[in-house]
Amino acid sequence: MSGAQTAIRVDGVSQAFGAEGDPRRVVALESASLDIARGELLCLIGPSGCGKSSLLNIIGGLASPTTGQVTIDGQVVRGPSPQKVAFVFQENTLFPWRTVIDNVKLGMAFQGVPKSERQERALQSLRAVGLADFCNHYPAQLSGGMKQRVQLARALGLKTEILLMDEPFAALDEQTRMVLGEDLSVLLAQTGKTIVFVTHSLVEAVFLADRVAVLTARPGKLKKLIHVEEGHPRKSNFMTSNKLGTLRNELYELLHEEIRKTMTLRGEAGEGA
Amino acid sequence: MKTSSRLAAHLVQLGILVAVLLAWYWATLPGGINHLLLPPPIPVFEGFWVLFTADSIWPDLLVTVREWVTAVILAAVSGCTLGYLISRSNYAVRVFDPLLAGLYSIPAILLFPLYLLFFGLGPGSKIAIGTTIAFFPIVLNTIAGLAYVDKAYVTAAKSMGASDLQLFWSVMLPAAFPVVLTGLRIGCIVAFLSILGGETISSLAGLGHRIVSLAENMETSRMFSNILFAVLMAIVINGIVTFAEARGRRGMQ
Amino acid sequence: MTARRGPIMSPGLARLGVIILLLLIWEVGARLYADPLFLCPPSQAVLALGHIFSDPKIVNAIEVTIYEVVVAFAMSVSFGMTIGLIVGLQGFTKKAILPVILLLYAIPQATILPLFILSFGIGPAAKIAFGVSHGIFPVIVTTVAGVQNLRPSLLTAARSMGASRWQVFTSIVFPHMIPSFFTGMRLGMTLVLLGVLLAELYVSTAGIGFYTRLFAESFAPPDLFALISVLAAIAVTLNELCRTAERRFSRWHNG
Repeated sequence: MSGAQTAIRVDGVSQAFGAEGDPRRVVALESASLDIARGELLCLIGPSGCGKSSLLNIIGGLASPTTGQVTIDGQVVRGPSPQKVAFVFQENTLFPWRTVIDNVKLGMAFQGVPKSERQERALQSLRAVGLADFCNHYPAQLSGGMKQRVQLARALGLKTEILLMDEPFAALDEQTRMVLGEDLSVLLAQTGKTIVFVTHSLVEAVFLADRVAVLTARPGKLKKLIHVEEGHPRKSNFMTSNKLGTLRNELYELLHEEIRKTMTLRGEAGEGA
Repeated sequence: MKTSSRLAAHLVQLGILVAVLLAWYWATLPGGINHLLLPPPIPVFEGFWVLFTADSIWPDLLVTVREWVTAVILAAVSGCTLGYLISRSNYAVRVFDPLLAGLYSIPAILLFPLYLLFFGLGPGSKIAIGTTIAFFPIVLNTIAGLAYVDKAYVTAAKSMGASDLQLFWSVMLPAAFPVVLTGLRIGCIVAFLSILGGETISSLAGLGHRIVSLAENMETSRMFSNILFAVLMAIVINGIVTFAEARGRRGMQ
Repeated sequence: MTARRGPIMSPGLARLGVIILLLLIWEVGARLYADPLFLCPPSQAVLALGHIFSDPKIVNAIEVTIYEVVVAFAMSVSFGMTIGLIVGLQGFTKKAILPVILLLYAIPQATILPLFILSFGIGPAAKIAFGVSHGIFPVIVTTVAGVQNLRPSLLTAARSMGASRWQVFTSIVFPHMIPSFFTGMRLGMTLVLLGVLLAELYVSTAGIGFYTRLFAESFAPPDLFALISVLAAIAVTLNELCRTAERRFSRWHNG
């Protein structure tokens, strides 16, 4: 978005597993470079194995790039930055032995929020995701969608500038996904956070993102950046609009050949791979 | 449909119990099995109640219970400590876990004669064998619990800035707790069984010793009464320990 | 995370190193501090092996013990599998009888050991019986479990194609329960060893038990260590054989 400051700069980042020359070496990501503006919601999309989760982990400091670097607000990322970055994971990482509100408070404890502030902030975050009534429930008592909302509340409670979300809605049914997507858009408009969102869903990507970064099949390279010029919060009529349909089709064309490539690669490598 | 078949199953079990008791009674009628081999049921049950009064089982029971509690405490402290230390490093786990699992496959009862040599016939040798046998499930489960905490929890906590201490207290310990608790339950039970075994082989006092001396004196009826007591005690211990484990797991949920 | 440099030694080698280190500590510690009546260094135990094996009566006692284990194991497996199949194949018998079996499984068998000796005498019969009494239970329980998971649709499909009862058993039921059965066999071996050894140690007038008591009472730790090591080695070998068999047969079946 023109004129906005850059929150995250990804500079020539590669991620490879295995040593050079090792036939089993896997290059997940190759020379990805990208500037993410403050307050923007950027979606990363691509076929399986294209390195989008790797890129997210590298941005968040949970993994180190093989080459290149990421800077957040001008500082190079060298490890987890809990003050600046909060994660929402695909799998359930809520601690089953604690209640919903204790889970949110524990996240704050890890970050270093003073004890006196935690209760109020936790309630605030849970209200923001509509789960204040469930604060004393245990995660096992909640549905999948509710658990993801709690994970979001935990991330929100950390009051970070940046939110990294790794296919957070992937395990949910389509209807829940749509509702949560709308809620996320509302939240973005209210808080102005910078969000990087990994997804497999074309529609979800277009509906949520300000820009969609399309990655190629492994080794993942940045193929194209698609701009979605639409303000937040996104209304439900955007979902059924022609604009979304056109953009979705464009995404489909870009991704289709990449997905085909992934299938062929698998076939060539043989069943034993 | 289901409840009626469950009822039928229970009836069959009850029927088996009654049949066994009747067969026992019938077999020991005059002209039947030698009473030195199989005593009649009624004196056995009468003798059972006497255990609590005139034929006092309390001193021997106290000896066995003391041995058991000591062994469990020693095994729990050493097992949990060693398990924790090993779990701290993946390399240590890869080195020591198979080693401990391998040692576990040696029938530890073989060590008992050595303990007899070393500690004598008193409680020491029983405590030693109880501790040795209970140690393994405890240490192996502690390692398994701490070393194999779901990585997702650790990643999430680290991403939120958890320090090593916070990670241990708030994530690893509660996550490992159910597994460790299972190890402790198994440890309690095998400690009890091996202590009874040790007392049977060679001892001066305790439940096992009572049963053996009654056998040696051919007092089969009293022996049966004592065996009945020991069996009931084992069932009770099993029940208590299983209950405690379930409570512990629920408390953590 | 970028790749860390790997550890210096393979874990297997490190394990060997730990064992050697412990043996060295034992050796040195025993030589310097131990009262020879109670503790001996491993080197003396190794030397005592010669003494053990040169005495034909001791060797015979060891052979008898092995014989007892093998016979008890064979009986546990055959009877256990039979009972397991009878109980497991019929839903009702399983519900009714299995809890009874599990209850028996929970009895502290050490308490009835004197009873076995009274009934069978001090010869191999009592030890074999006691071993079977230990080893039969895991075989029964795992056989029942192995049959339990059989999808009824498989049986219906076979019957619909005209398979006889026997054919259904041999080509569906039996192969299906094999992995579980081999697990039961491995557990059974462990328990048979426990039962036979417990009985042998109890009977101190003959067999292994006589010699363990003799060596303990005459304060001869090298001989005692040596004898126990031989028995331990035999036990480990038998356990390993069963574990290998289990692994071999579970590889064919994926879960």
